[in-house]
Amino acid sequence: MATTPTQPPGYFSSALRVFDLSVGEMLWSRRTIFMALVVGAPVLIALVLRLLDALGAPVFRVNGMQVAGPAVFGMMIWFFYLRFTIPVLGVFYGTSLIADEVEDKTITYLFTRPVPKGAVLLGKYLAYMACTVFVVLPSVVIVYLCIVPMRGSLGASFLDLVKDLTLLAIGLAVYGAVFAVIGARFKRPLLAGLIFIFGWEQVALAFPGYLKRFTVAYYLQALVPHAMPNDGIVSLIQSFFRENPPLGEALFWLFAILLGFLWIAVVSVERKEYVLEQ
Amino acid sequence: MSTASIPTVASTPTTPTTPSPAGTAAIVTAEHVSKWYGQVIGLNDVSVSVPPGVTGLLGPNGAGKSTFMKLITGQLRPSKGAIKVLGEPIWRNPKIYFQIGFCPEQDAFYERMTGLEWVRALVRLNGLDEKAADEAARRALASVDLMEAAGKKIGAYSKGMRQRVKMAQALVHDPQLLILDEPLSGMDPIGRRRTIRLIRDWGRAGKSIIVSSHILHEIESMTSNILLINNGRILAEGDVHQIRELIDEHPHTIYVRAEQPLRIAREFLEKPEDDVRSMKFEPGAVIVETGKPDAFYARVTEMAASGEFGAIDEVTSPDDNLQAVFQYLVK
Amino acid sequence: MPIHDQSYRHYGGGRAPVGRSWLIIAWAGIWTFLRKRAFLGLLFGSLIPFLVRAAQFWGSANMPQLASLAPDASTFRRFLEYQSFWVFVITVYVGAGLIANDRRANALQIYLSKPLMRSEYILGKLAVLFSFLALVTLVPTLLLLLLKVAFDGNFTFLKNNLFLIPAITISALLQVLLASFTMLALSSLSKSARYVGILYVGITFFTSAIYGALYAITGSSRVSWISIGADLEQVVDVIFRLKPRYATPWQVSLLVIVGLIAVSISILERRVRGVEVVT
Repeated sequence: MATTPTQPPGYFSSALRVFDLSVGEMLWSRRTIFMALVVGAPVLIALVLRLLDALGAPVFRVNGMQVAGPAVFGMMIWFFYLRFTIPVLGVFYGTSLIADEVEDKTITYLFTRPVPKGAVLLGKYLAYMACTVFVVLPSVVIVYLCIVPMRGSLGASFLDLVKDLTLLAIGLAVYGAVFAVIGARFKRPLLAGLIFIFGWEQVALAFPGYLKRFTVAYYLQALVPHAMPNDGIVSLIQSFFRENPPLGEALFWLFAILLGFLWIAVVSVERKEYVLEQ
Repeated sequence: MSTASIPTVASTPTTPTTPSPAGTAAIVTAEHVSKWYGQVIGLNDVSVSVPPGVTGLLGPNGAGKSTFMKLITGQLRPSKGAIKVLGEPIWRNPKIYFQIGFCPEQDAFYERMTGLEWVRALVRLNGLDEKAADEAARRALASVDLMEAAGKKIGAYSKGMRQRVKMAQALVHDPQLLILDEPLSGMDPIGRRRTIRLIRDWGRAGKSIIVSSHILHEIESMTSNILLINNGRILAEGDVHQIRELIDEHPHTIYVRAEQPLRIAREFLEKPEDDVRSMKFEPGAVIVETGKPDAFYARVTEMAASGEFGAIDEVTSPDDNLQAVFQYLVK
Repeated sequence: MPIHDQSYRHYGGGRAPVGRSWLIIAWAGIWTFLRKRAFLGLLFGSLIPFLVRAAQFWGSANMPQLASLAPDASTFRRFLEYQSFWVFVITVYVGAGLIANDRRANALQIYLSKPLMRSEYILGKLAVLFSFLALVTLVPTLLLLLLKVAFDGNFTFLKNNLFLIPAITISALLQVLLASFTMLALSSLSKSARYVGILYVGITFFTSAIYGALYAITGSSRVSWISIGADLEQVVDVIFRLKPRYATPWQVSLLVIVGLIAVSISILERRVRGVEVVT
């Protein structure tokens, strides 16, 4: 038999190999079918609105006033992607990076190979990023192409599109890291994750002071190039106390949160015992 | 259960096991290892050294076999004590998995992948490049007779094929130590025979193998070097025959098929030095329980040689096997 | 010495009437959750709003300076609305694994190989979730009404708001049945309780997000029927004789709710089987 290597692959090389193994499984899992439906809905809505507008229906009129395509696109980014899709995908995937393998009892094969357990988590995180980024971002582009040309210009709004795509990718990365920690440490990570997004973040953003700095949404909102509409009492209250950090500061803290939480997740997985259900 | 100390015999495996690989350093050492899950004790102060070669880990369900397997494969950390595999601690030591191949008990796979894809992807985690990984995976699948189905999705595999692909991923990187947790589970008789033969071949090739089962005759057909476990404790370790001999308070059962069994029985009873504890008759045979098996065998040999008691056709001990040892120790 | 018969003996005792097996399943399920401290904590947390409201009622009845806090019909409506958060959490906690765990353990075949009808199995599982959800909606709201009467010392409030009893009952039942059937149907679709939880959360928030986006774009709440939460709010507003908060006709919202329950029943009928036919 040919000699096999006696030195393990490097940390990131190990993570990439786990990525190779996981990305196919993740992409074709039932979870991704759900994700495709989630990001397909705004595309469908955009197509329907485009069709209705073409037929002369009064779809882009708010309080009798005509709203331009770029503004509508901004609203969809805000309501649908930033406030729902990104955090929810972060919860669904981030909390399940290792939990899925434990539930399916396939974790044994990964943890009895000469790769650090932390590299397994990192590889799965990269697979999550690949799956979500390459499904969500094209959806955003399609919505952009459908909506913006209506009383708007594709060229003039192109920079906003690039900013939106970057913002959403960063959001996926940061929320994924935060929920990777929740998934690694909590027994019921889904509930904990939902309470974080729809409980803690909403409340903290509504209060003046330093509380909002302990949310991800505070820094992400600083990257949004569009004006943010209100859709209810909570966001109205939040708008009173909204103070956006400078762009540089927001980016710094977002990357600090990303790296910090990823490190915590890696350490948690390295130290934890996973007892499989008999 | 005997109140004698736990029988521990220096391992001298007889056939069908292999000659020990170079060096006789223990492949697994556990020192005062305990593991508990909340209030439930999985292993209780276990100290054991597993020698090179093929070792059978034997115990009923719930004995602690799986806990022990998980501890020596680094999936669990001991609550107390220390475990070393191939001379190194196993917990959080991924490098050691170059030398270890583990075949777990659970029937869990990436069902959408083919057997070849799966084994190849796993061996890549050992640092092999694409080409080398592909070759190694093919070799491993060939060694478990699975090359024909290598291109089929694992979800379409039969139970026996699933067990074999699990074993393929365990040995694909040519490890020094193979740890097999219930490898024959769910297999049909042909599959069992084939797997047992494979395990014996690997043992002869110089690999150390720890194989767990609760089916006694399967372990017996693979090795005579055993580790008996029950209720989280090690009951006995070493060669099964020598363990049997050490349980000296337990009488041996000897089956004698003869022309005149009644006459032979009378002779046994007249000689108190034969230490006959009980006697039972079957058509053409007498089954004797004795506390002095060696003396008894010598006596039977004399009787056969003298010819005074008719022909003695068969003298066997249904007792000198793992089942009897196990039942006695576990009682 | 008499030798006792050691062979198998047939059961000769009494048997419960046919059709009560669902009670066994229900009771076993309820008891399983009641033994978990975390769940008891959750139940206790869900009753804190009840205690706060009870204190408000007592204060408004006994302290003149708090008379302005006296409840009216809409107070009970709002209480039910606040409890919807706990309904959501308990539905996910309790309901996600009700059938999914049985499917995972291949227990459906064992259940249905007993003299147990599929409808009894479903009813039993439904009763588990229904009991806990009713405990945080119907029971505390009716208790609040009772407390109001008790603290007032007369039946005036009740006589003036007699519709509250059927309104609370129907609204709570609607809320509980919708959550129970939907969650049970989702639970029958998968072997993973975690995935079921994700699906339920996703569907709940997804429909709200779609409505939010459409409302922002069109400025009209006529599309509120898309959001399951909004449908429930609309119908309950009408039951409590309040002005509906959305422009969608309440009949459309009710139709959506009833349709959802019907679809859930249909899914349960197809998925809860002892054997799976593979073609």
